Amino acid sequence: MNGTTESYIEIINLSKSFGSHKVLDNINLTVNRGEVVAIIGPSGSGKSTLLRCLNFLARSESGEIKFQNRSWSLNSEGKRYKGKKYEKTLSELRSDVGMVFQNFNVFPHKTAVQNVELGLIKVRKMTKNSAREIAIKKLEQVGLGDKINQYPDKLSGGQKQRIAIARALALEPKVMLFDEATSSLDPELVGGILEEIKRLANTGITMLVVTHEMGFAFQVAHRIVFMDSGKIVEVGTPDEIRNSQESRTRAFLSAIL
Amino acid sequence: MTDNSKSFFEFEAVISSWEILLKGFAVAMFAATLATALAIILGLVVALMRLSTVAIYRWIAFAFTQFFRGVPLYVLLVWVYFGLAIAVNINLSAILAGVASLALLNAGYLSETFRSGILAIDSGQIEAGLALGMSKQDVFKEIVLPQAFRIIIPPMGNQYVDAIKDSAILSIIGVPELMRESQQLANLNYQPFEFYTCAGLLYLIAVALVSRGTNRLEKRFCTQGAQN
Repeated sequence: MNGTTESYIEIINLSKSFGSHKVLDNINLTVNRGEVVAIIGPSGSGKSTLLRCLNFLARSESGEIKFQNRSWSLNSEGKRYKGKKYEKTLSELRSDVGMVFQNFNVFPHKTAVQNVELGLIKVRKMTKNSAREIAIKKLEQVGLGDKINQYPDKLSGGQKQRIAIARALALEPKVMLFDEATSSLDPELVGGILEEIKRLANTGITMLVVTHEMGFAFQVAHRIVFMDSGKIVEVGTPDEIRNSQESRTRAFLSAIL
Repeated sequence: MTDNSKSFFEFEAVISSWEILLKGFAVAMFAATLATALAIILGLVVALMRLSTVAIYRWIAFAFTQFFRGVPLYVLLVWVYFGLAIAVNINLSAILAGVASLALLNAGYLSETFRSGILAIDSGQIEAGLALGMSKQDVFKEIVLPQAFRIIIPPMGNQYVDAIKDSAILSIIGVPELMRESQQLANLNYQPFEFYTCAGLLYLIAVALVSRGTNRLEKRFCTQGAQN
C-alpha cells in the first residue's frame, strides 16, 4: 500500500468460538482506506466468520472492531454494547458496509429493481421514485439494465449476484465485503463477476474479499491475509505472500496453484 | 314414482325451507370466516411470541398452542359459553362464544403453521436484509413475512376449510347455523336424510369455493419468483 496509512478498519484481539471450537483466535488486522484486502486460506479457517464479524452478522466474544476510529464493539466505558438501542447503532454501521454473499441472497419475491431499491427506501429513507431512479442506474452499471423487472428465479446465478452487488452498492457504502462471491457460480460465470469486483476495486472503495480465486486475489488485492485454524498466519503484499517462507502458506498455495 | 322411492328421497320440504337453510349457511360462513380472520391475526402474534428471545413470551405462546390445540371444540364451547357465565358472570351471546372458541382453536393450529413458515425462510435472506442496515422489524415485514406467507397459503386454506366444517359444532350452544337449522327442520319434517344431505352439499360447495380461492391466491404469489 502506498501513500498515507490511515487506519480505517481496526480489528483488535478478536476471538469467537462455536462451542469449544475456536473459529477466530485473537485476530488483529488493520485495513487502510481504499485498500483491497483478500483473505485466503483453507475451508474452515475462519475467513467468512471474520468477514461476518465486521458487520456484526456474527458476534465476537471478545475483542473489538473499530471503524473510522469509532468502536463498534465497546461503549465509551469499555463495556460490550448490547440491547435494543445498539441494534439501531448497528444499522448505521451496516448501511455503510455493503456485503455480497456466496449464495447471493437476493430476495426472490422482489424484482431486480425492487431488490435494489429496498435498502434505499427502508434505510436511506428515500422516496420510492428517487430510490427507483438510483436502483435502475445501479443495475445498468452491473449490466442488468434490460432485466430490471425480472424476478430472480428467471435469472442466472451470475445475474443474481449482479443484483446483489447492485443492491449493496446502491447505499453508497464506504466498505464492501465479498464473502466467496463466486463460489456457487457456474465456472463460465465466475469471470464476469470477478471483472465486476475488479472494476469496483479500481474505484478506490475499501474492500475485504474472501475468495478461493487465487489468481484474482494476487492480481487485485493490495494485501493478502492468509488464515488457518482461526488465526492469521501472515499478512503481506501479493509478492510477499507468493514468496512466503511460512510453511503453512507455502503448503496451501502449492496445493491450490 | 313408487311409494318406496318417494319416502326415501323427498325434497319438497327441503326446497320449501330454502330460506331458513340459506340463512343457516350464511351464519355458518360468517362464523367460520370471522373466526379464521381472527385466528390468523392471533396465530401470527402467538407464532412471533413463540419465536421471541424473551422466555416468558415463548412460554405463554407454547402454553396457548398446547392448550387450544388439545381441547376439543365441543368442550371449549361449553367452557366459553356456560363456564364463563357461571364462573365470572360473563354472558356471551351464542354466536360470540362460538366465534371466539373457533378462533382460539384455529389460532392454536395456525400459530404452528406460521412458525414453521417463518422458520422455513433461509437465514441468508434475513442476513441480507440486516447487512443492508434494515431494522429487524423491516426485515421481518419486507423479507420474511411475504415469503413465509407464500408457504403457508395452502395450510391456511386447509384451516379455513376445517373452520367451516367445525362451525357445525356451534349448534350445541344454539347458534342458528346450518347444522342447527337442518337438525330442527329434520325433526320437524321427520326427514333427517334429506335435510342433512342438503346441509352436506352446502358445506361441500363452500369448501370447493374456498379451495378454488386459495389455489388462485397460491398461483398469484408463486408466479412472483418461486425461489432464490
